Amino acid sequence: MFQGFPEIKEALMSNKMQAGFMVAPMAIALRAQGVPIKIVYLGHRYGSAVVVRKDGPVKTFADLKGKLVAIPSRFSDERLILFRAMKVHGMKAGDFKMVEMAPPDVAGALAAKAIDAFSMGEPYPSQAEMGGFGRVLFHAREYWPDYTSCVLVVRQDVIDNRPDAVQVLVDGIARSGLWLENPSKKLNRRNHAADFVGRYYFRQDPRLLRWALTNPLDRVLYEPLTPYKKDFELIVSLMRETGVLDRYIEFEEYVDVRFAEGAMTQTEWRYEPGDDRAE
Amino acid sequence: MKKIVLAVGAWIAVITAAHMSLNVDWNVLLNDRLPVGKRKLNVAYIPVT
Repeated sequence: MFQGFPEIKEALMSNKMQAGFMVAPMAIALRAQGVPIKIVYLGHRYGSAVVVRKDGPVKTFADLKGKLVAIPSRFSDERLILFRAMKVHGMKAGDFKMVEMAPPDVAGALAAKAIDAFSMGEPYPSQAEMGGFGRVLFHAREYWPDYTSCVLVVRQDVIDNRPDAVQVLVDGIARSGLWLENPSKKLNRRNHAADFVGRYYFRQDPRLLRWALTNPLDRVLYEPLTPYKKDFELIVSLMRETGVLDRYIEFEEYVDVRFAEGAMTQTEWRYEPGDDRAE
Repeated sequence: MKKIVLAVGAWIAVITAAHMSLNVDWNVLLNDRLPVGKRKLNVAYIPVT
């Protein structure tokens, strides 16, 4: 487990890690700079929000003028969503200041009044809500239908030499997504997932993840996770518009869709809370 | 003198064993020693969606 996206980038480049989840614009920027990685799948859809202090002066997006807003990285969808909202509200770059901050630090910074707002993925919007000091100003979907944020990237040498291992990884994520999205079992399964992910992976209070995964149930979606060209063309276009990508890059240059296509016939894990193992 | 050396040695052994048990990820170390084709992929993530 890492604490920030720049560290994941370094670990991938040094081959300490062979795959990783990172914000889509960072993966695209790295590929544009010649780093041999490809996006093979999405981590989720939606699940990002702009949060302000509950008792603070910011009541609408326009109130952010002159304020300080934390983002995870300049290469993040959470930054791009702010630009989309700015456009809707007739604001321009520079109307408020953005500061890069490691995701685990933003809720504390908001509570301490070190920042006025943050644009971040879950569970940090939930953390601010649960703590009673934060209020969601808007969820990403309000300004960006089909919003994507974290993607799974894999080193090109692994894709070339071990495509079967990459397919197993993608299949597992696809099956987990289907398992979480089962319409009749969604609530129970998401509560269970919050419990074991909180304890064994995120090292966070399971109640926080339960909030993020169930309040409401479509706050974060885990299906469909196939990387669609139209979604990424939009990200590339926004990156160029906002000055973090200096050239157009073809979809096929930074995405390898064959693993997502290979996972399309997968079915959800055969596992119910309490079982010994998943099949 | 001998007792002191034994006590210090025992203390170092206990601390070393505790460190290796608590702070060393043996799965990662053993995985790194497998042939490339048999290694599990290391997947990086941060606790955020």
